[in-house]
Amino acid sequence: MTTRTPKTDHAVVKQLRAALGDPAPTALAHSRARLARWLTDEAPLIQWGEMKSPLGRLYAAVSRQGLCAVDFGRGEAEFLKRFDPRARLEKNPQSVDRVMAQLSEYFAGKRMRFDLPVDLSTLTQFQKTVLEVTCRIAPGEVWTYHRVAEAMRRPRSSRPVGQALARNPVPIVIPCHRVIASDGALRGYSGGSGLKAKRWLLQLEGAFE
Amino acid sequence: MALRFEELIERHHDEIFAYVWRLLASDGRNDRKTESEDLVQEVYLRAYRSFSRLRANTNHRAWLYKIATNCAYSRLRQIRDGRGKIAALASVAAATGSASDTAASDRQIDRRLRFLVNQLPAKQKACVTLRYLQDLDYPEIAQVLGCSQESARANVYQAIRRLRLALEK
Repeated sequence: MTTRTPKTDHAVVKQLRAALGDPAPTALAHSRARLARWLTDEAPLIQWGEMKSPLGRLYAAVSRQGLCAVDFGRGEAEFLKRFDPRARLEKNPQSVDRVMAQLSEYFAGKRMRFDLPVDLSTLTQFQKTVLEVTCRIAPGEVWTYHRVAEAMRRPRSSRPVGQALARNPVPIVIPCHRVIASDGALRGYSGGSGLKAKRWLLQLEGAFE
Repeated sequence: MALRFEELIERHHDEIFAYVWRLLASDGRNDRKTESEDLVQEVYLRAYRSFSRLRANTNHRAWLYKIATNCAYSRLRQIRDGRGKIAALASVAAATGSASDTAASDRQIDRRLRFLVNQLPAKQKACVTLRYLQDLDYPEIAQVLGCSQESARANVYQAIRRLRLALEK
């Protein structure tokens, strides 16, 4: 019997491949399953669904804590891009049944306030306070950015208030569209088609001609 | 759309597992499967912690390989430190003995080659594994190891040469 000691670099590489080999498929499957179990425990689960609305395709997502995102008039990819890339995303229409039902009632003019747990855990304390104050604005009413700032006892914070409202993750449900500029201008709106959507929502609520 | 962590597992798990499996290849240890699994778990745990801070243009594959290389070398250092000199000498004797046998089987040469690969300097071992077992190109190897492409190329060359000469002895 002769040895097959590799004589060239190419032969060494070939021999090396044979010597170091491949892991067994069962080893790969086992490791993969273990990793999947770990990720299930570690990564937050975000479930989402969509529906048609007068403002275009509307998407909503819920976390374990509650409603964490609403968006409309944009594509699915754009909507999903907002979430922590480590989260597990799962399209599950049933998970947002209650949200969609209440939003449908809102669009039909049968509901003006929402009864939903909301997850604002990704926001700063300032942003949370702005949104909490905004929830106090009654349907059909509008406040100025300055009035929201005053209600927070931060009368010089009109601009940060505007910035916090622009980051409202759950527009309509938290009615940031009810906040306008001191001169009566709509100023800005991050949801859907922007100011057009803001005007439409205020008209629906009877706050705007 | 930005890559999601789940996709990072889906796309790269198998090759990262194979990589650490090969880096851990050596004689005399029967628990390579569990060790590789633990390492892959550690690689993804570290990746998870810093994933949301990555730049948009990051080469995720190279980034994972980099983490895997660091994890594997930490583990190999622990193994080496824990073994003690007697075990190491026994391993050398066993490998040398098998090579001197003129009727060496394919299995013996494979074992000797694994032993020789483990004797390579860390960078050469990583370079040759990344190039010829994991099929990474030189720009990627340079990213993984934080060196120039020329250095990666030179390390692969040196590793192969060293293995060939050792096998010829």
